[in-house]
Amino acid sequence: MFAKNRIFQNRVAFITGSSRGIGSSIAREFAHCGADVVITNRKQGGSSQAKGKKLCEEISEGGGRAILVNCDISQKKSVKKAISDAKAHFGRLDFLILNAARAPFKPIERLFERELKDLVNTNYLGHIFCIQESIPLLEKSGGKIVFISSLGSRFYNPSYPLGSMKAAMESVVRDCSESLREKKILVNGVCGGLVKTDSFKTMRLYWEGIEQLPDDLFMEPEEIADAVIFLCGPASRGIRGQTLIVDRGLSNSLLYPVLQ
Amino acid sequence: MAQKIIAEERIFDEVKKAIVNALGVDAESIKPESILTMDLDAESLDFLDISYNLEQTFGFKMARHFVLEHAEEMFGEGSAIDENGCLPPQAVEMLKLRFNGDRTSLEPGMDMDEVVHLITVDSMAGSVLDILDSLPETCPECGRSSWKTEDGTHILCGSCRADAVYKTGDELVIDWLKQVQEKEHLF
Repeated sequence: MFAKNRIFQNRVAFITGSSRGIGSSIAREFAHCGADVVITNRKQGGSSQAKGKKLCEEISEGGGRAILVNCDISQKKSVKKAISDAKAHFGRLDFLILNAARAPFKPIERLFERELKDLVNTNYLGHIFCIQESIPLLEKSGGKIVFISSLGSRFYNPSYPLGSMKAAMESVVRDCSESLREKKILVNGVCGGLVKTDSFKTMRLYWEGIEQLPDDLFMEPEEIADAVIFLCGPASRGIRGQTLIVDRGLSNSLLYPVLQ
Repeated sequence: MAQKIIAEERIFDEVKKAIVNALGVDAESIKPESILTMDLDAESLDFLDISYNLEQTFGFKMARHFVLEHAEEMFGEGSAIDENGCLPPQAVEMLKLRFNGDRTSLEPGMDMDEVVHLITVDSMAGSVLDILDSLPETCPECGRSSWKTEDGTHILCGSCRADAVYKTGDELVIDWLKQVQEKEHLF
């Protein structure tokens, strides 16, 4: 069932926060394309780790190769260790997918200093640690970096301070795409619409009525994964420093859905 | 008022169902004393998922924020969680009043991430019960006292059919904190 299309055979993808949600769909999609997959999760001993193990087994049973490594992106040491584990196991790195995120749901002005620092440590510094640590490997392979953003980077979402970090990272995507040009590393992003994964389950507690949006505006996580695969494949060679909106037109249709 | 429309047994069953739905664990493995994190492998996102399930079932709002966060909002940053993410003595005293953590030793200086291990199936059911008990004597719409339930979990007015209105979980936590502060002057 896996490796239906082997465009990424002998390539290695490292996906942060990939034991569940959108990250796990991206990992699956890479495995489908024949890539070896490094699945990472932050917390040891919890339900995410269990889900990550299961995903590894699923990929192995389907004929693919996957490992689960612990990676708390907010800790540089942990990132270093995870990347070196990946290298030790697969020997190379081709695709770095910056998907992990973790943030409180609160209006931004009500965040405590500790929460603000955590927000930045995980959702800004964390991604940059991952970029820094993987550059030597990506340089060798002519690799790609894809950041997973969300509509909160450009539009107001209630109680969603993560949006401000997504916006900052879209700017990092623009920066690094140029500064890493010489190293032949391509950097882009995917800005996903509303996906009914775990973090949406949280969001719906803070955003009353959001579930009343028409069903066809909710995305499948695989649609975001497909866009990531596209940005990692040869067909996207002309796209650089961009964050593509992949949202079934939700952001483009302004008030249309509410006026229905 | 203490509502008697939904039996405690039913409430516990619904809490169990919400947990099974969120975590995909075996219903058999869920005991009243089960710690959601340690025994059932729940993580922070899972708690919100369980809350959402319960909100759909009963038509109320669970607390969005934990009691420590409310204490910080009420008494200022640093009052319940110090700059290292650890709990000062007054926060530990407060938690002792709220939970009986048999397996999590509550001690000053403990890490705030450990506090989540205090939440058991029983304590979760207790929060649900507290919210249901905030049902007013009479219907705010028509003033009659004829609450009933047709599906076993959503309470409505038997006279005008308005949905029951409860205090939110957060309001109840804040009320509780105010009471404790008045009595104990912890903060």
